Amino acid sequence: MISNPELELHPAKIIQLNKQREDKIKFFKAVLLDIFFVFYSILVLQRAIYYKFILQLKDIPFSWGEIGVIFIFSVMLGTIWAFTKTSLSCKLFGVAKENKTTKWTVEIFGWFLFNITFIAGWIITRLSIVDLFSSEGIRGAERIFGSLFRPEMGIFDDSLFAMIETIYIALLATLISIPPTLLLSFVTARNLMKDNKFTFAIYYVLRIILNFVRSIEPLIWAIIFSVWVGIGPFAGMTALLVHTIASNAKLYSEAIENIETGPVEAISATGANKIQIVWYAVVPQIVLPFLSFTIYRWDINVRMATIIGLVGGGGIGTMLMQYQGLARWHEVGLIVLMVAFVVWVMDYISAKIREAIY
Amino acid sequence: MMILKVKNLHKIYKNGTHALKGITFDVKEGEFLVIIGLSGSGKSTLLRCINRLIEPTAGSVYFLDKDITHVKGEELRKVKTQIGMVFQQFNLINRRSVLTNVISGKLGQLGTFSSVFEKFPQSLYDEAYKSLETVGIKEKVDERADSLSGGQQQRVAIARSLMQNPKLLLADEPVASLDPATSNSVMQYFEKINKDFGTTVICNLHFLSLVRKYATRVIALKAGEIIYQGLPSEINETWFKTIYGEEAEEVEIR
Ligand SMILES: Nc1ncnc2c1ncn2[C@@H]1O[C@H](COP(=O)(O)OP(=O)(O)O)[C@@H](O)[C@H]1O
Ligand SMILES: [Mg+2]
Repeated sequence: MISNPELELHPAKIIQLNKQREDKIKFFKAVLLDIFFVFYSILVLQRAIYYKFILQLKDIPFSWGEIGVIFIFSVMLGTIWAFTKTSLSCKLFGVAKENKTTKWTVEIFGWFLFNITFIAGWIITRLSIVDLFSSEGIRGAERIFGSLFRPEMGIFDDSLFAMIETIYIALLATLISIPPTLLLSFVTARNLMKDNKFTFAIYYVLRIILNFVRSIEPLIWAIIFSVWVGIGPFAGMTALLVHTIASNAKLYSEAIENIETGPVEAISATGANKIQIVWYAVVPQIVLPFLSFTIYRWDINVRMATIIGLVGGGGIGTMLMQYQGLARWHEVGLIVLMVAFVVWVMDYISAKIREAIY
Repeated sequence: MMILKVKNLHKIYKNGTHALKGITFDVKEGEFLVIIGLSGSGKSTLLRCINRLIEPTAGSVYFLDKDITHVKGEELRKVKTQIGMVFQQFNLINRRSVLTNVISGKLGQLGTFSSVFEKFPQSLYDEAYKSLETVGIKEKVDERADSLSGGQQQRVAIARSLMQNPKLLLADEPVASLDPATSNSVMQYFEKINKDFGTTVICNLHFLSLVRKYATRVIALKAGEIIYQGLPSEINETWFKTIYGEEAEEVEIR
């Protein structure tokens, strides 16, 4: 009746095998990271610090061949380094030998990485205190700030309409985003998808796509859509919509991942199926966070819609850009004040609504 | 007849914890089996392996003479509908009404469509009221679950599991977060279900006085192994110290 041979496992053996497999994966990651560290250090040292800072070159020589050589060298050095098990990455992934060498490597190399990154950053952004306080710069700033406080009221009606357009762009993008976001958030919640190979594959692919979409700023989406559907409010709305879906799907799915597991366990113990479990044990726990995220997103979208207008997404931003191009600072002043006021009001309203529903 | 047979059950968690180390025992139909042991001895793990909320690593579980250790999908859901479970933290759906919570015990036997749109036949509501009556809180039916006291919530949870008409009822420290008086009254409902409906009960408990009062048989776990099996009356001072450690002292709860 009993004795399925597969069940006659040695528990101690299982523990040991699990640990070995995990360590192998960790070590593999450590090798990759070490290669990256070496590659990064050489590139920064060579390009930012040597070419730019020491040789003061205007045009930095570039060739794929050179990068390739550096890369191959990094692969070798990084791999050797990781195999000594005293490297920074080995320490980070917890597979390093615990000895003095490791301790020293981690400290020295950690400091080294931090410093070259900071120096490279300084060089690349050309940090210059001088520009900030040059008399010409200060005069420019005075002109703009001065105009802000003497706004041109003649364009009040026009800019009000443009502002309303912006608010509606934001509202519509937020509303339309809700159904697709809901759908996506459930299929990108790890706890709901991980049990089955097929659903896990869906989860994985969708997560990658969403991360990609989210990592592209709404401003860039607006540029893409203004080419695709033509300049105007529709391009702006679509850009916001795409970004809203990707961002909120992540927030929603995290809310799903952080629900209390007790009710889920209880409902699944009754023999309920997946959909019933989600409907009875998951949904009631996430309705409020979802509402709150969505309202907050409307608020964010109003701000973003303003910016998006700058690249032809319609609304107040487009108007702002036109006056700025003509250097009509008093008109710009009015628009900026109006934007500031509306953003402030939206911020206040959305905070109040979110407070009320909790 | 044996309702449950557990044979050489092992559970090793992903992090390497060996929580069950070869557990073997049988449960007769109609028994009130109590499992005792210190925190971390593996009581919850054992119950969860029985109704497959978690997967045992090795060994087998027979429910009504059928090997359920490896059943999957629909078949597993069928098995789960016959085994009720009550938890220490009640695990009700806080924002929903008592009625909805009770009805959710029946989900395994309801269609997906009707349960999502909450289109239930009158007979189901009648059954829910009856379950609530059994645990004596029919009057709370329309209240939100999280507005009830701990003892009331646990009774709703019992009513929920009654909706399954379970052959076997698992209870994981059902009174551990309740005060002594409430604990006793909640335990009485388990006793009632066991006596009146003939439902077999397996219950994890902490207090020996409750064990003596309700159990027909006791199993003691220590570090994932069974170290005692027998009648509650046979647990003497020596056994007590073996199970709970030299330092322990018995606390009465009535
Ligand atoms: N999900 C889990 N992952 C890893 N270890 C766990 C998990 N759940 C329980 N354990 C461990 O298994 C052992 C038994 O736990 P448990 O079954 O909860 O004991 P009890 O219910 O008797 O207090 C403990 O050492 C606990 O830390
Ligand atoms: Mg427990």
